[in-house]
Amino acid sequence: MKQTTIGGTKRKVTNALAMLGLIIIFIAYMFPFIMVVINSLKQKRDIIKSPFSWLFTIKGLSFDNFVNAFTQMDFLNAFKNSLIVTVSATVLVTLLAAMLAYYIVRHNNGISKFTFALMVASMIIPFQAIMIPLVSIYGGTLNVLNHRITLIFMHTGFSMAMSVFMFHGFIKGNVPMALEEAAYIDGCTHSQTFFKIVLPLLKPIISTMVILNSLAFWNDFLLPSLVLTDKKLLTLPLSTYSFYGTYSADYGTIMAGLLLCVIPILILYVALQKQIIGGVVAGAVK
Amino acid sequence: MRKKVIARSISLGLVLVLMTAMLTGCRFGFASDPDDPNEEEKEVPIDTSTDTFEYDASLSGTNITLLNSKAEIQVALEKMGAEYEKKSGVHVEVMPVTDGDSPYTKVVSLYNSGTPPTASILDTTDIIALAEEKAADLTGEPWTAEAEGYLTEVNGKIYSFPLCIEGRGIIYNKAVIEKALGESFDADSITTQSEFVALLDRLVDAGIEKPVSMAKEDWSLGAHQLQYIYETYEGTSEGAQKVIEDIKAGKLDLSSYNRMSQFLDGFDILKKYNVAKGDPLGADYDEMAIDLADGKTAFWFNGNWAWPNISEAGANEEDEYGFLPYFLNDDKSDFVNQKIQASPSKQVMLDGQIATEKEQAAAKEFLNWIVFSEIGQQMLVKTCNIIPPFKNNPYEPGDPLSADIYAKVHEDKAFNASAIVPNDHWAVLGASMQKYLAGRSDREELISDIQKYWDEQE
Amino acid sequence: MKSKNSGKDFCMFALPGMFCFFAVVIIPFIYGVYLTLTDWNGVSKVKNFIGLKNFGGVMRDGQFWTSLLLTFKYVIFVVVIVNVLAFAIAYLLTRGIKGQNFFRAGFFTPNLIGGIVLGYIWQFVFSRVFVSIGESTGWKLFEVSWLSDPTNAFIALVVVSVWQLSGYMILIYVAGFMGLSEDVMEAASIDGASGFVKLKSIIMPLMMSSITICLFLTLSRAFMVYDVNLSLTAGAPYGTTEMAAMHVYEKAFTSRQFGVGQAEAFILFIIVAVISGLQVYFTKKQEVEA
Repeated sequence: MKQTTIGGTKRKVTNALAMLGLIIIFIAYMFPFIMVVINSLKQKRDIIKSPFSWLFTIKGLSFDNFVNAFTQMDFLNAFKNSLIVTVSATVLVTLLAAMLAYYIVRHNNGISKFTFALMVASMIIPFQAIMIPLVSIYGGTLNVLNHRITLIFMHTGFSMAMSVFMFHGFIKGNVPMALEEAAYIDGCTHSQTFFKIVLPLLKPIISTMVILNSLAFWNDFLLPSLVLTDKKLLTLPLSTYSFYGTYSADYGTIMAGLLLCVIPILILYVALQKQIIGGVVAGAVK
Repeated sequence: MRKKVIARSISLGLVLVLMTAMLTGCRFGFASDPDDPNEEEKEVPIDTSTDTFEYDASLSGTNITLLNSKAEIQVALEKMGAEYEKKSGVHVEVMPVTDGDSPYTKVVSLYNSGTPPTASILDTTDIIALAEEKAADLTGEPWTAEAEGYLTEVNGKIYSFPLCIEGRGIIYNKAVIEKALGESFDADSITTQSEFVALLDRLVDAGIEKPVSMAKEDWSLGAHQLQYIYETYEGTSEGAQKVIEDIKAGKLDLSSYNRMSQFLDGFDILKKYNVAKGDPLGADYDEMAIDLADGKTAFWFNGNWAWPNISEAGANEEDEYGFLPYFLNDDKSDFVNQKIQASPSKQVMLDGQIATEKEQAAAKEFLNWIVFSEIGQQMLVKTCNIIPPFKNNPYEPGDPLSADIYAKVHEDKAFNASAIVPNDHWAVLGASMQKYLAGRSDREELISDIQKYWDEQE
Repeated sequence: MKSKNSGKDFCMFALPGMFCFFAVVIIPFIYGVYLTLTDWNGVSKVKNFIGLKNFGGVMRDGQFWTSLLLTFKYVIFVVVIVNVLAFAIAYLLTRGIKGQNFFRAGFFTPNLIGGIVLGYIWQFVFSRVFVSIGESTGWKLFEVSWLSDPTNAFIALVVVSVWQLSGYMILIYVAGFMGLSEDVMEAASIDGASGFVKLKSIIMPLMMSSITICLFLTLSRAFMVYDVNLSLTAGAPYGTTEMAAMHVYEKAFTSRQFGVGQAEAFILFIIVAVISGLQVYFTKKQEVEA
């Protein structure tokens, strides 16, 4: 990205001011996160009595919290479970939502309108309102709880509305009909057109949705806690339960555990950021 | 683009550092300092050489689940389950209830999902709500004979196993008091409210400006403090029940009920000497434990469950901590000034609806094993650090708080009363108590809140 | 897509997604609405039909209406601040500022932490970090914990929600700004349009579709606030910061009035549906085709 040079010095001054403002807000944004990093290396007593003190003034700075968190969480197993659930659900919801949104945009019929309206409305259903009905249907009647596949299916269902909503907006604004018509003239079937022509155009929004959905699945606590009770299946957030006591929490281990959960998703974001930016730029140039 | 490469390498670097640190378990700084409070606690050895318990061999291979709502004994229960499995072949899966999820909600959702736990550790109110609908009848189980006085009956039947006795009062740190006053301190010498105030004043003069810690949490204020007004009626659960019925029926006027005003007198004293007086609702639970252990304060209103926190704050099992009663008045003959409250809190309920006969039998055997086997008895007290409500259990708890409760229960210096109140009592009235604690409401408003709460109950 | 074979298209493109959605969201929701008409308590085996009696219980539950009023206040603050802030930051981040990729990653961090944990961290920041800063600096602002005063606790809730939601909205606004063609912006600058005029008459209309989405998302999320409410204040001090969603949950499970709680959830849903419906309708009208 090249900086536009119109405006000369005035532009430079405003840019400098903007930069300063940005840095201040940026620090405010990072503050809790910095606190987590600093305190994850301290002992409970120091965390409580002097949460803000700099690391080198504290005695007993150590990686113990990380070691504890790692073993208590059964990190590798929980990591594997989280990975399976997050990856499958993300792939599934991204693909199905893109297809459904594409159908809705291109077929302006009754079913499309009804489904879309219902989906938008459903985004404001409080999860607590369907929590008990959900477990009584899937557990009591169908008896399919405690399987990863059930959780993947539910994650897919719950994030469908939001994903369709986002894809719908993008397809409407950024995918020209002309390309598809050309493809049909060349003799492509509908699915060929979708997978070869439309899907590649969706790259920027796909990257965004992959990030947002995988984050939601990776961090979700309430739904997995309802679906999974078998210890071997617990995901990362569920595996940190034991750090929260009835009367007080084990802050150091919690913060270390949190960082352990967050790092994989941070890597994903850094990797995908290029896609998001590159993709949007490519779309804008069209 | 360069920045991104930097960001990427930083995050990768961070991961690598963390990974190596975890794998090598490295520590730096002064982590091996001798008074490191985080040091691994040494495990209490369990003697497994004698075991006269008779196991039912036909149950071997059965799987049972135990829902645990007492987070601090999660690991201990897992160990206990593993030990029991070694002997009996019955596998016990201990399921935790997580924070942000009440035990009752968890049980309800598990019942709805068709996979209720075979056994659940719950509060007495929850047991009463679920007993007749879901629980297995435990009347006549062998252990009931050993827990006399600690059993909860619902319409003449027993549905729950009392897991532990818990007591509460004003925790004192003996060493701090003695050091400040320069003389030896005998907790039994304080027998009235005035004597307690006199002691507090002497401590203030000796330099401990605010000698009391009190929690701002609604469960502490709404349940542990406020429930004294029911439980001190005559020091029994029946008496507490009667007060509640009378308040509901309008037969007891709270504004003229003597325990109500006495309780508030006691509460006002704690409030006056509160270390967090400037910001009582900003008090931090963990900090209270540290303050008590460090000697910044001398008293903390709490129960024996506070020991893990105090110990984590640096106290040792050899240190002298104990309980003073929650003084209500100056009458030396009034039991409340001489006895502390201690009663069974957590109870185990067995599922009688979905669990198979075999699972129920295995769960029943597990409960009997806790009470009658030498290993179970030891583990209940030593591993879980619980005060057992069972007469036949010869072991004494190791930490000073539990040991003090244990001694008081055996010396008749404790009263066994627990009020059975609706489940939202602590939350709703805890909020009213917070308001009073913060000085944003007066006695009249608090009392009318309590009356209003009971009027709304059916 | 041409209209031939539309049945096959429907089965292939629309059906799988719709199936997941209906099975997981709509059917349990309908079942939940049915439950509001019964006296089921969440546990018992029998469910008796009792008509609208639970809704009568909602009317009598004064605390619910208080919490709803508070929620409205909260929503207004959050929606306005989040959108203004996110819009401004996104604008800056797409103006070719040095290190903007690095900044974007930073502003994204609030998204990395899930709801409940996030509330705990902020609780720690408000009650421990700020107070300790107050102790060492003597600043009146941080002298007592913000969470122990009703007004400050409310502000704390707004601050945390803004922090959390704006990270997400920045992403969407950034995508919107990147979609604006550079020609439009340059043309506006050459025409000598001042910053404000440029913003009002050129940028805003073109950004309207992003604004519609962000307003809708912030509105619905702010109304539904639960995780942060529970873990940051849990309604404290003395129940003054209990929002509607948390009250519903407490009613159903702590007070054990399952039917009434479920009915309150339903009423909350209707209110949010109407308000966000109106919002989408009005902002959509402002949208122009880019």
